[in-house]
Amino acid sequence: MMKSKKLWALLLALAVVLSLAACGGKDGNADGSASAVPPEDQTAGDAGSGQADAESDLAYVQGKGTLVVGMTDFAPMDYRDADGNWIGFDADMASAFAESLGIKVEFQEITWDYKVMELNAKSIDCVWNGMTLNDEVKAAMDTGNAYCLNAQVLVVPADKAADFENLTSLEGLNVAVESGSAGEDAAEALGASTTAVAKQADALMEVSAGTADAAVIDLLMAGAMIGEGTNYANLTYTVNLNTAQGLESEEYGVGFRKGSDLADAWNTFWAAAIADGSVLETGTTYGVQESLILE
Amino acid sequence: MLSFFSSTEFLTVLNALNTGFIKTLQLFFVTLVGAVPLGLVISFGSMSRIPPLRWLTKTVVWMVRGTPLVLQIIALYYVPGLKGVPIWSGGESGRFTAVAVAFVINYACYFSEIYRGGIQGVPAGQQEAGLVLGMTKRQIFFKITLLQMVKRIVPPMSNEIITLVKDTSLARVVALQEVIWMGESFMKGNQGYAGLVWPLFFTAVYYLVFSGVATILLGKLEKKLEYFR
Repeated sequence: MMKSKKLWALLLALAVVLSLAACGGKDGNADGSASAVPPEDQTAGDAGSGQADAESDLAYVQGKGTLVVGMTDFAPMDYRDADGNWIGFDADMASAFAESLGIKVEFQEITWDYKVMELNAKSIDCVWNGMTLNDEVKAAMDTGNAYCLNAQVLVVPADKAADFENLTSLEGLNVAVESGSAGEDAAEALGASTTAVAKQADALMEVSAGTADAAVIDLLMAGAMIGEGTNYANLTYTVNLNTAQGLESEEYGVGFRKGSDLADAWNTFWAAAIADGSVLETGTTYGVQESLILE
Repeated sequence: MLSFFSSTEFLTVLNALNTGFIKTLQLFFVTLVGAVPLGLVISFGSMSRIPPLRWLTKTVVWMVRGTPLVLQIIALYYVPGLKGVPIWSGGESGRFTAVAVAFVINYACYFSEIYRGGIQGVPAGQQEAGLVLGMTKRQIFFKITLLQMVKRIVPPMSNEIITLVKDTSLARVVALQEVIWMGESFMKGNQGYAGLVWPLFFTAVYYLVFSGVATILLGKLEKKLEYFR
């Protein structure tokens, strides 16, 4: 009798220790002074993932043999063809970049809000998905040089488009925007009351359903997703919010971990890809050649 | 209307949703297989005669039941990597493993309380009867208490199991591509289709069919165990 009791106690202690191990990580993080640990500090406790990691992110990625590209489905930059393969301007260039490093590319769809956490947790190696280089992105990641121009545009029902022409203020309008996006900043700067939704596509649905007066999304995406021949034929885009604010166009860039040498490797790769014409060629395939930065 | 069901749009979406639902099912079954036995171990812990073990188990159960599952998934998946020890791989398989571990721990804690209720609900007279018959404590537990506990816990377990079917949708927070993720993907764009809203709502059909089948099977199990009455 005593024996069986001890056995149960042992089993239980094991289960408890296992569950506590899971919780311990959470507590540790809350106590830690910085949640985004710089790579220099990380290396000390990082025996598990090989010592190459200690010197260079490039060596770490080459050591494991795959470049995991964090992205979302975002035509024409990253999207699936009819066979389910990832294509698009960013996807094709990411494959070429991985090839230039002598490793394989792996595309991983992520939740956009978690992109910095994904990078720091090393579950992805770069964010390459038509990412606007705003202050938050520049503070949290090391980015390659800008490679593409973009603007924020106002999407409205086609039959009401005339009311919105040449607007310089959005005051009194209820505008749907992607949470944490450059479009959210632009809409708020112009005085709109905003509804933050999870995805740019959700913002389009809000306008389509009449629950928002307008939406603010990326020009490149608007070009591909709305208007005649799409499922949002009843929508159109009018105001360029960057012009309305008197701002420059936005720029797209590729994000890497803070302190990663992959950003330099990317810049070298990209300069060569511009020189041999493959950037322009790929851009032309996906209809983004007008927006590319080719210098 | 009928021609819609044979259109390429419908077939493409159906194909993607099927792929997603297989992920949903995998998560569902892995969670059940892991959490049903682990829950029993935890329930012994919360009924233990050793006070420190009992308190420890109850604290863990309180923490797991007292925080949102979605938070546990995020913490379990990202925190090891953020601390510099990435234990899950970045791809699909690493995400699935992390999510499965979170689900097993979470559901085991809920199950443990159901088991505890079932075990303690067996009348003391049953154990006394076993003692009179000269059975050992171990025999009494396995042949009398546990057997009757199984019958008592079927209705509350059915409840949890049907909740589990739907809770699997939380896994998409770390980009596990289960059926809701797949449904949503057509709003933004997937395989050439963008701005489709119906696939998201259509996923309800999968959940309804699956929970319908689960309800029927669990109902049959309940009937089978009726002879204990």
